Formats: sequence, C-alpha cells, structure tokens
Amino acid sequence: MTAHANHSEENKSLRPQEGPKRHIITFIVSIFLTALAFFAVAYMPESPFVIPFIVLIGLIQAGFQLYVWMHLDQKGHEFPTLGIWMGVFFVAAFIIVFIYWLGGY
Amino acid sequence: MSTEVSTNLPPHPEKATLEGKNKVLGFWLFLGGEVILFGSLFATFIALRTAFGSGPASQELFSLPLTAVATFILLTSSLFSVLGIQAMHRNDLSGVLKWFGITVLFGLAFLGLEIYEFFEYVHEGHTMSSGAFGSAFYTLVGFHGAHVLGGVCWITGLLSKLPKKGLNVVTAPKLYVASLYWHFIDLVWVFIFTVVYLMGKVG
Repeated sequence: MTAHANHSEENKSLRPQEGPKRHIITFIVSIFLTALAFFAVAYMPESPFVIPFIVLIGLIQAGFQLYVWMHLDQKGHEFPTLGIWMGVFFVAAFIIVFIYWLGGY
Repeated sequence: MSTEVSTNLPPHPEKATLEGKNKVLGFWLFLGGEVILFGSLFATFIALRTAFGSGPASQELFSLPLTAVATFILLTSSLFSVLGIQAMHRNDLSGVLKWFGITVLFGLAFLGLEIYEFFEYVHEGHTMSSGAFGSAFYTLVGFHGAHVLGGVCWITGLLSKLPKKGLNVVTAPKLYVASLYWHFIDLVWVFIFTVVYLMGKVG
C-alpha cells in the first residue's frame, strides 16, 4: 500500500482522460436512431425495407453499448470480445435453425 | 490502511487488484452466457411470433408511444450509470451516489411501465396461455423485466453500503460490474423493442 502512496502523483497523470462528452454524443446518436426506427414503423409500415432498416439500427445500437459504454474498444478486452462474439455466433445459429430449418410457425 | 486506499484511488480502481480483474473477467463470461440465454428466447419468440392463438394480434396489441417512453427511460438510465462510473474514476463519492441513484429510479420507472403494460395486455386477452405468441412474449419480455428488477436490487444494495465503505479497490469492481450489467440489460432491450414491438407492429 505504501507503493500506492508513493505513486499517487504519477497516478494522477495516468488517470484516464475521460469526459462525459463522448458518452453524451453516443447517447444523442442512440436516441436519434431509436426515434428513426420508431418513425419508420409508424409512418412506413408497408415498406419492405422497414424490417431490415430497424434491425440494422438495432445492431448499430448494440455496437454502441458494447464498444463505447461497456469499453470493449479498450485494451485488455480480448477475452470478453471473444466471449460476446461466440455468444452472437450461437444466437445467429439458433435463429437460423428455429426459423429457416424448423420452418418457424 | 483502508483510509490510505480510499484517499489514493488508482487510475482504474476496478482493475487495480487481481481480484478486481478476475471479477470483471468473470462477469464478462457470465454475460456471454446471458447472450445465449436471451438469444434462445429471441429465437423462440421470432419463430412463434405470429402464433396468436386465441389472443389479439401483435399489430393491434402493441402501443408504440408506450414502448418509446420505456425505451427512452432505459437508454437514459444507461447514460446515468456511465456518468456514475466516471464519477467513481474521479473519486467522487457523492457523484457516484447521485448518478447510480438516478439510474435506480429510472429502472423503477421502467418496471412500473412494464407492469402497467402487462396488466393492460391481460385485460385485452393477451396472456401466457392465449397462444404461443403470448407464452414467448411473456417469457422473453418478463425475463428482461426480471433482470431489470435484479439490477435495481443489486445497485440499491451496493449504494446502501457505499457511504460507509467509501470508494476503494474493493468497492470499485463491484460498481463497475453492476454498470456492465446495466448496459447489458439496455442492450437486450434494444433488441426487444426492435424485434418484439417494432417488428410486431409491422407484422
């Protein structure tokens, strides 16, 4: 613990230079994308592109959550990244099997 | 010793100790399992989402304004928990209590809306047993709601101990991991509002 005390000055300079700015920008973009998805469904429910469009928006938002808010973009997150992408792989397999192979309902 | 730790918070207090590092890694492994859990519920829901049975169809059932408000509440609470973690990195205890406290309040607001929504649906004949759509809907959305409730209880528990224990290398990983959990809940909701509500409205 004395080591900590000795390095406290050094630690200050190492303290992550983070501000709320990046997160607030991501938040505003997230809200904007969400609004876009809701408007697309409210005003163009007949369009054949509306489902791919809202799913794409959902994937972008998931990326924001993982890489900006949960810091997967920072160093030392190789295992978490591997874990999450493994999960995504299985989920994609589930969805394909349930809907296209078993034929859905 | 404990006072020294709390006054000299290292730059990344959540990963300053081996225990903290392991806690964060272990939590990511748990989240990997959660991805599979929710993924299988999503796959089930997508496969059964038009099997309305005796209940109403999703197009007439869902109300977009209600879902939009719930989505806004949950996205905003995710931002607040990030601000809470940044306050933790600044060694600002009152900031942590404030931002995580607001996160919990927004979580409760979301739960209130969800309970109101489920009551309305049951009155309209959309129940767990009205059809495969109903079963899949309540299992998926209810599981997510239970996760929100779990998060609310968890963060409340952490906050209740925090004024006494302070911010240090023991409490920091706990807060960090709770915020990861909260973001993950938000991530799942992004897919719920897209796949369940918006796609349900489109048909």
